[in-house]
Amino acid sequence: MAGKSGRTIVNVPEKSWKKTLLCWEGMLVVLFILINIFCASISQSYQVSNVLREMPKYLTEVFLMLPMAYILILGEIDISVGATVCLSATVTCMVCNKDMPFIVVVLTALLVGTVCGLVNGLILTRFTELPPMIVTLGTQIVFRGIAEIALGSGGSISLSNADGFRMIAGKVGMIPYILFVVIIFAVIFTVVLSKTTFGRSVYAIGSNRLAAYYSGIHVQKIRLIIYMVMGFMAGLAALFLTSVLYGANTTTGNGFELDAIAMAVFGGISTAGGKGKLQGGIISAFIIICLRIGLGQINMNPQLILIILGALLILAVLLPNIGGELKLKKKAASVK
Amino acid sequence: MKKKVLSVLLCVAMAATLAVGCGSKDEGTKGSGSDTKTEDTAKDDSSDSGKKTYAIVTKSAGNPYNEKEAEGFQEVIEAEGGECIVKHPEAATADAQVSVIQSLISQGVDSICIAANDENALQAALEEAMDAGIKVSCLDSKANADSRQTFVNQAGTTEIGQALMDAILDITGGEGQWAILSATSQATNQNAWIDAMKEIMKEDKYSKLELVEVAYGDDEPQKSTDQTQALLSKYPDLKVICAPTTVGINAAAKVLQDEKSSVKLTGLGLPSEMAEYIGDDDAHSCPYMYLWNPIDVGRLGAYTSIALVDGTITGAAGDEFTAGDMGDYTVVEASDGGTEVILGAPFKFDPSNIDEWKDVY
Amino acid sequence: MKEKKSIWKKITGSREASLLIVLIILCVVISFRSPSFMTLKSISDMLKNNAVIMIMTLGMLGVLLLGGIDISIASTLAFSGMSVGMLLKYNVVENAFLLFVIAIGIGALCGLVVGLVIAKGKVLPIIATMGFMYIYRGMAYMIGNSQWASAENLGDFKNFALGKVLGINNVVLIMFACYIIFFVVMKWTKVGRKVYAVGSNREAAAISGINTSNVELMVYTVMGTLAGLCGALAVAVYSSAQPNMLYGKEMDVIAACVIGGVSMTGGRGSVVGAFLGSLILAIIAKALPLVGIDSIAQNTVKGVIILVVVILNVVTQRVMDKNNLKGREM
Repeated sequence: MAGKSGRTIVNVPEKSWKKTLLCWEGMLVVLFILINIFCASISQSYQVSNVLREMPKYLTEVFLMLPMAYILILGEIDISVGATVCLSATVTCMVCNKDMPFIVVVLTALLVGTVCGLVNGLILTRFTELPPMIVTLGTQIVFRGIAEIALGSGGSISLSNADGFRMIAGKVGMIPYILFVVIIFAVIFTVVLSKTTFGRSVYAIGSNRLAAYYSGIHVQKIRLIIYMVMGFMAGLAALFLTSVLYGANTTTGNGFELDAIAMAVFGGISTAGGKGKLQGGIISAFIIICLRIGLGQINMNPQLILIILGALLILAVLLPNIGGELKLKKKAASVK
Repeated sequence: MKKKVLSVLLCVAMAATLAVGCGSKDEGTKGSGSDTKTEDTAKDDSSDSGKKTYAIVTKSAGNPYNEKEAEGFQEVIEAEGGECIVKHPEAATADAQVSVIQSLISQGVDSICIAANDENALQAALEEAMDAGIKVSCLDSKANADSRQTFVNQAGTTEIGQALMDAILDITGGEGQWAILSATSQATNQNAWIDAMKEIMKEDKYSKLELVEVAYGDDEPQKSTDQTQALLSKYPDLKVICAPTTVGINAAAKVLQDEKSSVKLTGLGLPSEMAEYIGDDDAHSCPYMYLWNPIDVGRLGAYTSIALVDGTITGAAGDEFTAGDMGDYTVVEASDGGTEVILGAPFKFDPSNIDEWKDVY
Repeated sequence: MKEKKSIWKKITGSREASLLIVLIILCVVISFRSPSFMTLKSISDMLKNNAVIMIMTLGMLGVLLLGGIDISIASTLAFSGMSVGMLLKYNVVENAFLLFVIAIGIGALCGLVVGLVIAKGKVLPIIATMGFMYIYRGMAYMIGNSQWASAENLGDFKNFALGKVLGINNVVLIMFACYIIFFVVMKWTKVGRKVYAVGSNREAAAISGINTSNVELMVYTVMGTLAGLCGALAVAVYSSAQPNMLYGKEMDVIAACVIGGVSMTGGRGSVVGAFLGSLILAIIAKALPLVGIDSIAQNTVKGVIILVVVILNVVTQRVMDKNNLKGREM
């Protein structure tokens, strides 16, 4: 596995337990344990069966976080994913109500998502000067707008036959299927990002796009692929969200994009591009999910929960920065 | 390189095992807790044999209307010796309410009374709640018939439609153009009322009224203002705007009053919000409007929850129960195939009583 | 076609001019469909209803010029607006001027905290402001404690938005005043130049003796101050203070800037561009219900127009660059 890319990287630092523990991901694992202990101590009902039962709705956001991490590492952003989920869920429900075989329904969800991603990708790669934020803001309004038109004056659609979706929402023992799917995709995305040339190209583009271009990386092709994958995963998220909601409406998926970005950022992925590991994002996703479930169970004011999450987000980035600066100052002082 | 792979795998494995391990540890403590830990069992007992827990889920936080509903609910539950949980979702969406319902199922409450943000999208969560033995009722805004046991309707849909249509007939003087300014295109309540109004309009005595447009202000003051102004310039002969939504009526009232327009307004609005605009003279934009008492909606919701939990009613049509000092109520068939309990007719707010109500809600 | 080309060249000589063309085309099309659009009253209504967004666009211009972004502004606005609303509701303060000062103060403080975290704590703007977006919005809910301030509570304060000086609405007047101040500051003062300098090349600016982190701090504080001011304005304009005021509108503000030709990577953009950009958005919002587009399709049309205008911007920029190159070759 080591020399797969044909290049050897010399400057891999020696790993020690202390270092693994002190790196951001290590601290996140510790934090994850602490959060679980904390939640279990404040809420009687924070038990494994309940946590697993409440999890599926939150897990749909992890599907979005995985490709979002790639986009952030590229130094870009996609705020249209929530709307993509909405559009995809809407069309999926409509197709399902036409009594199509379930496989067609699944494919529709994925296809609609991918097409939305393709639209984003095409605009962004055709007009490279455009900031992704503004393009995806525009497509966000358009995608949700199309869903609104499709839903008509009711603005809401229900499944006439939810059998297929009941199957997706099934469980093995206590563990819902969606958790397995999330883990499988998490592993795939992590391995691709850290172990393949594709992954390295992503980092290269994120740290210096021009240099990456001159060193022969197909920058635009990779961007297009990533935005399409983002759309695909949004379709997948829509599929599982439909299995939680048995329907769709115009507010479906509202704010998912920010949740996904928050998960990734909390996991140490920089929005400036080129930095961060997906492992961090995955662990932090579970931290945020567990915290939300735990605080939800003690009936904390939802706005207070948002304040806590916002503060955590800022602190997660602020503290290492301050720590780093102090270290630099210490070094400078000792040199003197 | 190998070490790096190893650390990556370790990280993932740690996360995975932790997710399972930590959880199972929790389960362990719970399992042993009910056997050995006296503290746990004591708490379990108290929640089983003593107080029942009743939960109310509102449409969104930070809204005085929802707050009054919750207040009424809480007051009755606590007076009847139950434990009350008031839950606001993090946003006014069905998505957010699903998380709230899930959390309530975990807490093992006895009943959930919910004002649904979407008619359909709560079905899976509410079915799960009912499977777990929780009594589910809706208030204010219903979920579909499959996902509830009964629905506390603040006023019959037809009654509201009738009241509003009569108001329009009265204010226009029998003929002329009128328009509707609604909330969002998917607002369950508003759509039901608008449909009812359109149905009633087919009667002969309304034949000279012309509904020119249904505009949507999305319950945003800015957009509602734009929409109202557009209605005014598009239809110079407009006589009445009917806004069956609290935010919309507020924004429209402000526009009409500021412009000293001859167009009048009616609809459904909170007295405290609308006090400034209600009056008979030309200086006020709204002669009168309707609403029900949200506190009473909450209180009836509470009595219904209690009746469902102690088995007085099952939510079938024909069931009867006594709602404290509010009198006796009967569960009746609803138009969507489910059942409902109707609070009463909508209440009219006019210049004579607005001062008395504006401080109440 | 040949004639057009030379005009085309002239137009593309300046970004603002091309924006102006878009604006004029929009206006012509709209007034063709709806004659009532081009009346003085309708335009003054539009400006009043969009003044809040237009003022915040100015602050965002400064932030974007530095290559930053601020998505917490709508929350800051709600927080300051709710504070004003609650102070009025419980009759703590009734003087309109004092209330404006308080709102601006709260906004400035919020902006300062955001600025400190970004400039001194070296947190990336989008992350910091995303965090503060949740925090300030949450605080707006907390301070409101499930209450709204309604027209009746607001007393004389709401009359501010009705008053006129020289026939122009107070709110619109404040908006124009802000634009004039910003125009002067950005064009002719040291501070304005510093912002452009830091935005176009931070290292170069730092080497030439500009304290870049102070400039950054200032820009976010100004942004917060404007958002605070807008909080009070929004309460006055709509005679109502609710914790979910202008939810999600930060994106409209950013869109207005980008439509106005402000670059999101920093260094490029002007006050005139920001004005035209926000004006285009305001016209779209005002015109969509007027021209008789089905209300259910209005959002889609709005999104498409934003995309088209932004892409048009890029195309004109490309033509402009090409022309410039040609000029050099000659």
